[in-house]
Amino acid sequence: MSERRVVPLTWPSRITLIAVAVISVLAFTWPFIVSAQFAKAHGNDAPWLFAALLALLALVCLAEVTAGRLDAKTIAILGVAAAAGGAMRVLSVGTAGLEPMFFVVIIAGRVLGPGVGFLSGSLALLTGAMLTGGVGPWLPFQMLCAGGIGLGAGLLPGRPGARSERWVLAGYALGTGLLFGVFMNLWFWPFIGANAPSGMGFVPGAPFEENLAHYALFYAATSLGWDLPRGVLNALLVLIAGPALLRVFRRGARRAAFGVPVVFGPAARPVETAPPPVDTKGPGGR
Amino acid sequence: MVRRERLQHPAAWWLWGLGLATAASRTTNPVLLLLVIGVCVLVVSERRDPATANMLVPFLVIGLVIIAFRVALTMILGNGIVGDTELFTLPRIPLPDWAANVRIGGLVTLESLLYAVYEALRLAAILACLGAANALASPRRLLRYLPATLYDVGTAVVVGLTFAPQLLADARTVRAARTLRGHDGRGLGELARLTVPILETAFERSLGLAASMESRGYGRAVTMTAGGRRLASVLALVGLLGILGGLYGLLDASAGGVLGLPLLIVGGLLAAASLVVGASRDRRSGYRRDPWTWTESLTVLVGALAGAVMVTGSAAGWNGLTPSQEAQLPAVPLPAVLALLLAATPAVFTPRPRRAT
Repeated sequence: MSERRVVPLTWPSRITLIAVAVISVLAFTWPFIVSAQFAKAHGNDAPWLFAALLALLALVCLAEVTAGRLDAKTIAILGVAAAAGGAMRVLSVGTAGLEPMFFVVIIAGRVLGPGVGFLSGSLALLTGAMLTGGVGPWLPFQMLCAGGIGLGAGLLPGRPGARSERWVLAGYALGTGLLFGVFMNLWFWPFIGANAPSGMGFVPGAPFEENLAHYALFYAATSLGWDLPRGVLNALLVLIAGPALLRVFRRGARRAAFGVPVVFGPAARPVETAPPPVDTKGPGGR
Repeated sequence: MVRRERLQHPAAWWLWGLGLATAASRTTNPVLLLLVIGVCVLVVSERRDPATANMLVPFLVIGLVIIAFRVALTMILGNGIVGDTELFTLPRIPLPDWAANVRIGGLVTLESLLYAVYEALRLAAILACLGAANALASPRRLLRYLPATLYDVGTAVVVGLTFAPQLLADARTVRAARTLRGHDGRGLGELARLTVPILETAFERSLGLAASMESRGYGRAVTMTAGGRRLASVLALVGLLGILGGLYGLLDASAGGVLGLPLLIVGGLLAAASLVVGASRDRRSGYRRDPWTWTESLTVLVGALAGAVMVTGSAAGWNGLTPSQEAQLPAVPLPAVLALLLAATPAVFTPRPRRAT
């Protein structure tokens, strides 16, 4: 499938992404595994340390994945994905986090591959934050999470255009909508510390199960009410608009004709360029 | 002295805001925290970027909501603070055994409420610093200072920022057209139906933009050799390994915490270096460059000073930085107050932004 080569993931960028994924998982889950002595001494600084670290890592990831290989067409396509995500963010400011943004990211990742999925996810968040003025320490965490969601959408199995595609994508949207909430609450949870409601706070040095149970309660009490509707909304949007949107993205990618070699011939007569590779299996091929 | 009206360098304001946020993160003293918020309000009211909306107000509102939310939550669910001063008792709802750790209702003490307010006020002060930075220098002005390696990513974000308002306008047009045809324009199905024409238009527009970028020789701004690119990749990978090792050392005390932080810092520096060495931008004239003069340096300096004073204060254990939860005014350390007041001086010495005419 030609669209998959829009931003190919080279080996260095793959290793970078894996390393950053490991570090990000550490940055989110450190309250559960850390020693009591570290948590007591640095429990308040650690969220800020990780915010600075992840900001750097997000930039490194973007640099490695693009590696200066973006051509004008890819930039334009990424611009559309970022604009769509940002516009959704602006629209959803009033609805307290019911962000329908992920559904565009998931479709983009599915059609254009994991590389574009990662880029469009993180750039959509960045654009949205710049449009709404909400740049803060939460942004690097959100960028990497949303990038991961787009990347995962690009790696989903299944033949493009298959009947089951929309159900797979809808399930993925529901799951990631919930997971996004689980992770995004985790980054500031230890910062609340003893101020959290009793039985829901981070206890430095407590056994893994105890902290996990506390966090589960905290999440259920404060965040599930928003995350569940968000996941359901995104899944419904994928179910309803998914097939049409997949066609729009596939058509856009086909018209952009990524991966067509540019041939310079003698100036005497116009060069016949190779026809763009047509995805014959896909639906809606016109 | 009258200085030419101009916007200050955005990086200076952001570094100032980060310094002040660091200062706020080191204390729970309500006097100092209110002082931080006051400094933010003063500087923003004097020197805010008139071209953008005042982002400080929404950030302050969020801060107020956080305080109210925390107080309400503490009243209903309690927190980990045990106090003697009883205020009142809410009816307690009995819970089954498996939720024995959680309580709903019950005794409300002054100490637990004060603790909640102090902690929430700290978060609100940090948010106020970020809101001030957002209001003083719009973050999109920072995009210009991305390293050359991220040049095309920055371009994509700029394209996105330009297209997003157009997308919203398109959405309005399509919706108006559908309303004229007798659809009521509400509901999930309608929202889904909007997306196809909007995104089709956006793709049309973006491919047109791509064609015009290509025909104008876009992309010649960055020079990048294969060797430089490889060096950057190696630096990034080594840096990431360093960060991983450093984190392991920090989080797992048995592995020797001494090695952790230096390894982390070296790894971070290497990763940051990979952003710089990968590519270089051609020297070319810039459009309306932001100059960096002594006012920028001084702004960064007073912000950093506030942060540094508070960090040393909390390390040295100054009296009053983390007050006890008693119903009395906490001790206020004088050096901290002076440092915070100094952080307000950019409201006076920086150049005034040009008023929108």
